[in-house]
Amino acid sequence: MKETRLAINIVKILIKDRMLYPGKLIVDTFSVVARCGILLILYWYVFKLNNGVINNTTFLFTAWSMFFYFSFSVLHLSGIARTIMQDVQSGNVEVLFSKPVSYLLYRIWWQIGSGIFSFIIISIVASILLTLAIGFPPTITIGMFLPSFTLTFLLGAVLTLCVYSIVGLLSFWIEDVNPIFWIVDKAVMILGGSYLPIALFPPLMYKIALYSPFGASLFITHTVSPSWQNNWYELIGIQLLWIFGLGIIVYWMYEQARKKVSVNGG
Amino acid sequence: MKELYFAYYAVKKNIQSSAELRTSFLMNVIGMAVNNTAFIILWTFFVKSVGTIGGWTVADIIGLQGFTALSYGIVFSVAGGIRKIADSVASGAFDRFMLSPKNLLLRIAMSSFGVSALGDIVFGIICLTFYAILLHVTIYQIVIIILLVALSSVVFFSAITIIYATSFFFTDASTVTGGFFELFFTPALFHGGAFQGGMRFVFTFIIPSLLVGSIPVEIVRNMSLDKLLLIAILSVLWFTLSIFVFNRAVRRYESSNFMTFGS
Repeated sequence: MKETRLAINIVKILIKDRMLYPGKLIVDTFSVVARCGILLILYWYVFKLNNGVINNTTFLFTAWSMFFYFSFSVLHLSGIARTIMQDVQSGNVEVLFSKPVSYLLYRIWWQIGSGIFSFIIISIVASILLTLAIGFPPTITIGMFLPSFTLTFLLGAVLTLCVYSIVGLLSFWIEDVNPIFWIVDKAVMILGGSYLPIALFPPLMYKIALYSPFGASLFITHTVSPSWQNNWYELIGIQLLWIFGLGIIVYWMYEQARKKVSVNGG
Repeated sequence: MKELYFAYYAVKKNIQSSAELRTSFLMNVIGMAVNNTAFIILWTFFVKSVGTIGGWTVADIIGLQGFTALSYGIVFSVAGGIRKIADSVASGAFDRFMLSPKNLLLRIAMSSFGVSALGDIVFGIICLTFYAILLHVTIYQIVIIILLVALSSVVFFSAITIIYATSFFFTDASTVTGGFFELFFTPALFHGGAFQGGMRFVFTFIIPSLLVGSIPVEIVRNMSLDKLLLIAILSVLWFTLSIFVFNRAVRRYESSNFMTFGS
């Protein structure tokens, strides 16, 4: 009950903050336009050169798959790694550990709250614009799409938080986790289907994306594919397995980190 | 001459200071170099899936990443302070640069050193070496590559100077400059062959993203001297414009009497 109240309060405060100071929304919009917008124009041209079909997929499916990736990235869940590192480097972690709330839960909700406003606004506006510009794929209209999409989105968010929390918690042992963050982030970027949509993955790369936590955290990019109707339960199962495995690692690392910190008060 | 000596001295001291934390220093350099390979992997698979577009092969992708990483690395390692203009203006810390008798832009640019950008330099050199080997370049082409690295670095420096000079026009400038930087830099990493028609015009003349990597690659591959002349003229124009914009923008700065001195 206390945890739920904490989560709601953090998210509520951060949404209000982002509404009053829309700077982050501006930069997120620029980022989506610069990355996703330009990529979509480039892919539109590339598909046109290939008579509209590459690897048995069309621009419509590719565009929506990539849009889901960039929309999800607006949540900035990966930022939890750097936030934990900054807390450790600045010593702020000592203050936060002395509070009567779980430090990790506090940081997780903070991360969710800080990105959710931009995510909602950009996702709604961009999906309307994308629909008006190119329409939507027929797979989106199938009945099981919305529940399975929502489920894989939520599990993907939890998995992303697990992956990046592990990177962040490493800062209790390593003085600078930035290099590890970059490598993990790029693995997610490649296997998540950012610049190269999953439909264009070579077979081996597709398998790695399917069975690694980096690809599994972004299974929402698979939801527009026609094969999603047949294998969605399998992919959600993979996500659940990774969440279970990485969740245990996060818990263990957090307990070890707690023992490592000495709160001196003052 | 005096200014150049100051630049050399500042860079030397910044490197010495950064190298004090040896493990972190090395991890940053190696980590950034490994991190950059992601773009080569991505675009290589893109070329394999989609085929050749605009005559661009995997070798050209390696060249593109080489030029982009090297110009990024050169500028953000020695002139890492440019990135901090927004924060300096917002906090009032810009006062101390105004009080310095040195050239203002040089002073702020050299005030910080980006360790991870050294990883970009290492990565860029490796990529361009591979590119030269794959293309079987002549001595003449090697000279052109070196010249193009210098020109693309000038363009990169000019573009980010203009981007971060906008810090003087906005209250919460770090978010705005971050957005402008994304808009400039992200297309510089994209497959150059896919930029055609209007997109090519916009990202060459209005936002100089393609001048950093794509156009240098095309110059080396096709030995296009007219494009070399174009990039040389544009780099001079962008550099002149960046100095003008920076000097005009600084006039908008209002001191907040932030009483600190030194670096």
